[in-house]
Amino acid sequence: MALPKRIIKETERLMAEPVPGITAVPHEENLRYFDVTVDGPSQSPYEGGTFKLELFLPDDYPMTPPKVRFLTKIYHPNIDRLGRICLDVLKSNWSPALQIRTILLSIQALLGAPNPDDPLANDVAQRWKEDQNAAIQTAREWTAQYAKV
Amino acid sequence: MGAKVPRNFRLLEELEKGEKGLGAEACSYGLDDGSDLLMTNWNGTILGPPHSVHENRIYSLKIHCGDNYPDQPPTVTFVSKVNVPCVDQKTGEVDPTKLPCLQQWKREFTMETILIELRRYMALPQNKKLPQPPEGSTY
Repeated sequence: MALPKRIIKETERLMAEPVPGITAVPHEENLRYFDVTVDGPSQSPYEGGTFKLELFLPDDYPMTPPKVRFLTKIYHPNIDRLGRICLDVLKSNWSPALQIRTILLSIQALLGAPNPDDPLANDVAQRWKEDQNAAIQTAREWTAQYAKV
Repeated sequence: MGAKVPRNFRLLEELEKGEKGLGAEACSYGLDDGSDLLMTNWNGTILGPPHSVHENRIYSLKIHCGDNYPDQPPTVTFVSKVNVPCVDQKTGEVDPTKLPCLQQWKREFTMETILIELRRYMALPQNKKLPQPPEGSTY
């Protein structure tokens, strides 16, 4: 089973010109499956944390989006307890013109701009709306507890 | 052969299928701990097959998906007592050598495959009339 040229090119570029604050390394035995890290953006409650994710390119990629999930616990209104991410470009707004690189940048941007009006983790989103300062404080604590290398 | 779906994404697919209730009517399954990022331990139920001693009984099971799932089958253990030859009567564990889908495990099999096969196994002519422990008793 040959790996599509598109995936090979994307992988090579990720290695040759890595995105600052993001790493993506394919598994040797499955080149469609990546170990990912994303640094929390500065000025966000995730600052100073390095978050582990996993990414998988399904058979019909790039016609369908990559599958991405957090492996590090994170307190965020658009990320649920199993690390699943609610992000438009991973669903209805996916376009084959997007790439692994752009998706990971979107995820990093989501950490800097939580959107409690489109929640995946309802309890977190509700707290975010009711008492934003307290929610941000919890997000900071979780970052310190789970996302420090 | 297509892309090999890694364990965690495969388990997420199974979870979503189970949550949406797309699974077989007579069986269900879900995560034991909804915040377990490793998705290791699952609970299953089987509604006893009709026209058997199991009719109208609900059987609970535990399913343990290890690091090598789905390359390796999960271990399956009955919580509810049941008297069928593939289940260890002391522990409730399903003997993988006695259930064809576990013995000849394939990567495309799922937890649902196992639950459906167990239900069929309970309804086999040689198993459907076996005397059963009291309803609701557990291992």
